[in-house]
Amino acid sequence: MSLAYYPGCTLKTQARNLEEPAVASMEALGLKLDELPGWNCCGAVYSLADDDLIHQVAPVRNLIRVKKQGKTKLVTLCAFCLNSLKRANLLMKEDAEKRDTLNSFIDEGIDYSGEVEVVHLLEVLRDEVGWETLSQKVKFPLRELKVAPYYGCTLLRPREIAIDNVEDPTILREFLEALGASPVDFPESTRCCGSYQVISSPDSIAEYTRPILSSALSHGAEALVVTCPLCDYNLARGQKELAKKQGGFREMPLFYFTQLLALALGLGPQICHFELNHGKPESLLKEKNLLSQVESLQLIGGKE
Amino acid sequence: MSYLGYPDFFEPYIKKVEQSRPARVEKRKKGEEFVFMSLQERQDMLKYHPDYKEEGRREIRVGPSKGYRIAHEFVDLLEARSRVDPDKVDLSKVDYETDVLVIGGGGAATIAALIAEENGAQVLIATKLRHGDANTMMAEGGIQAATKGEKDSPYYHYLDVLGGGHFKNDPDIVAAFVKQAPDALQWLESLGVMFSKFPDGRLGAMHGGGTCRKRMHYCADLSGMEIMRTVRDEARNRPNMKVLEFSPAVELILNEHGQCAGAVLYNMETEEYSVARAKAVILATGGAGRLHVQGFMTTNHYGATADGIVLGYRAGVPLSFLHTVQYHPTGVVFPEQIEGWLITERFRSEGADVLNVHGEKFVNEREPRDVESARFIKECLDGKGVPTPSGKVGVWLDSPMLDILHGEGRVRTAFVGKWKVYDRLGIDISKAPMLVYPTLHYQNGGLKDNAECETVVPGLYVAGEVTGGLHGENRLMGNSLMDIVVFGRIAGRNAAIFAREKAKEGELTLKHVKAYLKELKEAGIVTDRVAPMLLPDYTTPEVKEKQLTVSYLGTLR
Amino acid sequence: MSAKQTKKKPAATTVKHTAKKPAGTAVKEERQVAARLIPIYIMGKRYEVPEGLTIMKAMEYAGYILIRGCGCRGGTCGACGTFYRKPGDYKLQVALACQKTVEPNMYIAQIPFFPANRAMYDFAGLTAAPEEVFKLYPEMFRCVACNSCTKACPQGIEVMDAVSALKQGNIAGAAQLSFDCIQCGLCTSRCFGELAQYHMFQLARRIYAARIVPRAEHLAGMVKAVNEGKYDRSLDELKQAKEDELKKLYQEREVEPMAAGEDWKPKDTRYL
Repeated sequence: MSLAYYPGCTLKTQARNLEEPAVASMEALGLKLDELPGWNCCGAVYSLADDDLIHQVAPVRNLIRVKKQGKTKLVTLCAFCLNSLKRANLLMKEDAEKRDTLNSFIDEGIDYSGEVEVVHLLEVLRDEVGWETLSQKVKFPLRELKVAPYYGCTLLRPREIAIDNVEDPTILREFLEALGASPVDFPESTRCCGSYQVISSPDSIAEYTRPILSSALSHGAEALVVTCPLCDYNLARGQKELAKKQGGFREMPLFYFTQLLALALGLGPQICHFELNHGKPESLLKEKNLLSQVESLQLIGGKE
Repeated sequence: MSYLGYPDFFEPYIKKVEQSRPARVEKRKKGEEFVFMSLQERQDMLKYHPDYKEEGRREIRVGPSKGYRIAHEFVDLLEARSRVDPDKVDLSKVDYETDVLVIGGGGAATIAALIAEENGAQVLIATKLRHGDANTMMAEGGIQAATKGEKDSPYYHYLDVLGGGHFKNDPDIVAAFVKQAPDALQWLESLGVMFSKFPDGRLGAMHGGGTCRKRMHYCADLSGMEIMRTVRDEARNRPNMKVLEFSPAVELILNEHGQCAGAVLYNMETEEYSVARAKAVILATGGAGRLHVQGFMTTNHYGATADGIVLGYRAGVPLSFLHTVQYHPTGVVFPEQIEGWLITERFRSEGADVLNVHGEKFVNEREPRDVESARFIKECLDGKGVPTPSGKVGVWLDSPMLDILHGEGRVRTAFVGKWKVYDRLGIDISKAPMLVYPTLHYQNGGLKDNAECETVVPGLYVAGEVTGGLHGENRLMGNSLMDIVVFGRIAGRNAAIFAREKAKEGELTLKHVKAYLKELKEAGIVTDRVAPMLLPDYTTPEVKEKQLTVSYLGTLR
Repeated sequence: MSAKQTKKKPAATTVKHTAKKPAGTAVKEERQVAARLIPIYIMGKRYEVPEGLTIMKAMEYAGYILIRGCGCRGGTCGACGTFYRKPGDYKLQVALACQKTVEPNMYIAQIPFFPANRAMYDFAGLTAAPEEVFKLYPEMFRCVACNSCTKACPQGIEVMDAVSALKQGNIAGAAQLSFDCIQCGLCTSRCFGELAQYHMFQLARRIYAARIVPRAEHLAGMVKAVNEGKYDRSLDELKQAKEDELKKLYQEREVEPMAAGEDWKPKDTRYL
């Protein structure tokens, strides 16, 4: 069985360590991720300007291509892509005037009115695989890995496209439990990491991320799991700066949820590309005896 | 009404082709080929070749190759006046100063410029149209070099070049050519030319007409375009290189020491003349197809008007091998919109049959081009050509065979350029055959030089189609693209060295032009013809009748 | 101009000795017999031209001498990019003037040149890292995927998809998708994001061919052998050989069969 899959630009360049373990894991779970042929950039950030229709052309065109290929569901891993695609999809469902304008402009041969469903991989794991089945497939449970689930913004806001309860999301906790890990609940799991604001004010990263990191640490987390490459970047940078400012601030390894998935399914560390991670996750994993294929450790510090 | 995209008129003829196809495909698969002609048969067949038509040529009466019998169209240009009165050009006012002036904008010119620049020269390229507007851009088939040492070597390449050229080629030039060809190819590879390769990097290679080994490498069917694009892009990266577009040279300038020291340039748009001074000059102006020798249609680009020959001849460079012009056997003869266009020999290399009106083969598809062209002409003269509604004749090139022989989709992918052209006109050449006839294609000869690209004028170098000697009396497919690379590089290097070491300061002069004009007068040649031609004249007589206040200088207003 | 010049015969047609006139000037005569005239609008101005001509030949028929906007006349150089519309249809169409046959009431305009940003670079110093391409052409990320470039391409290239491939760091994909590009610049003229697509693609193709595709080892081997003088003696022999001997060698040389595979070897290996 296969699912139409949308990677997004970042996964192909900076975040290969988010994508590759995902593709391998889903194959192992019997639900192949079939990359959408002819996909292009989703537009990254959903444009809030009312008249900025051109910005919707990119995500809508991707959805049209899914429809043309006869698929009705599109899976994505990147939180920004999910947000952009899902909101554009909603626009095409609900706003008749804009829908008409966009259909008339786009010229892809067919009209589109929201026939494709956009989902995140976590939703697929919850709804199509199921946590029971997932935990049965786990070969190396991530025992005693105290990891704090961090959601960031774009998977949960705005409400119309959220993949879980905005105030009290549980999907990542359920995911981690299925993998045998020990999720650490903490109150800042949905606080914004600073997002792309940090591009214009780079000095603010430390302050954006401090509440998140210190809260996770104070609740006993040894690591953080993230779903978004921008969150990953901001948190990693933030940690470093906080460590510089405050002696004694402990830096934690940051994992992509897909890396933990692959590890737990027994696919080995190679596919996880830990060399691309910030914050040296291997030492923690080794400590917890979660890296059983020792020879693959040759990769630390080098590219494959 | 149409049949496979062609007008109804062609239906019975195409059906004949379809009927004979299965048997012919079987023969191909078995490796059974139509028998090649012997050297004597080839010689006899050439009588049907346009070059051998005596009414088409006359002796030139002036210049270093006085007495040479060549096509009227060339003689007309050489026995013509200068575009500009030499006395009107103020040589003391120099508009452009450089080390190496390259005249031309195609493959040979650009490659020469790159190598000259790499050898320390400041380079100015002056070209008539845009940089890259040249025959190089349109070359399709491929580029020959002996690269697979386990079955080929420069020795065999040499033999093939000689055989194609009727054994009259200049031995030193050919030896330099075949020896340096592999290195030239490697240089192109390092610049990023996208050759068609096997996954492990091995170059694809095929036969061309007259080759004994498969050594013609290619970039799909856009080999010339890919090479031209790449070298032009590299030229644009060089800070010491300047390109003047729409600025053809109309006379070479010499200095008091007899060295070539620049050129008079003409701005095609503002009609101003300017003086470019250089320490060495490279003439790489390409071919002459737009002279429409003997009224033939041509494959050449708009600016192929033999300008360099005129310039070099006036400066004293003799001609060689200009008595033969190459007609490409397969130029499109129908549909009219693409009349004259080149159908690459690679169709025949890959196994497409050539057929007469009865759907029968009558020649081996891989004879050298002049023999092949002559044979087509003879077949049509014998009444076995395929007629067209406009009265022209042609022969079939059975392209659909390639999909059968090599797998469905072969034509569409390996010959994407041509497939698209026909597709736009409603014909799918993987299903319908093409109608072809010889078309004026390549200038086998030109200005005489040696293996170092030197001419009798010190400081004047020549490279590419404008030269004579490499191809003898007939060029093989795939050798023109290699010609421009090997000799472009040699000319570039030598010109840079000359500029640095041998060029002498001296007074600029156009005395040679005045002397030439005097020679014309003394030979009794009175004419209003003007050369170089620069552009062919396609204005109709009806329009000209109404142009009451326009005066033409040659073909230009 | 000299006073003697009463006859305005251009050089191309002063060919006294052949029966045929050069192909181009014969256009009108042929057409008078065969085709009917149809109207077209060249930059808004109406002209009647014979049916069946290409836009380029129609412009010449109408009396234009093309200096700009004419190159190879064979569909590969990109000089003659042309936009046109038909009356009552808002759709903007694109064509190459040398390829496209005229249609009644076409409104045409040529774009012989369009300013385009091109980055200078030192090719020898480039690797296959996509980041290097991003640095040279950061405007690539202004692409809003509007597809106007694809619609403007006379070669039918999926221009937007090729830009998309580049943005994804897929240099090989961009190279392969853009191979047929004739660099006419029409895509650039229509681009919202002000990209010069064809320059970016050119860079991608060069990087692909020189840094990603493996080098041909057999070629390197041959260059080495030549430089070591392996073929000097045999070539010298040929240079000295008389015509008769050359003819004999030529006729007797073994010819690789058309159907031969890559592993074919000749029987005579003396000159390899």
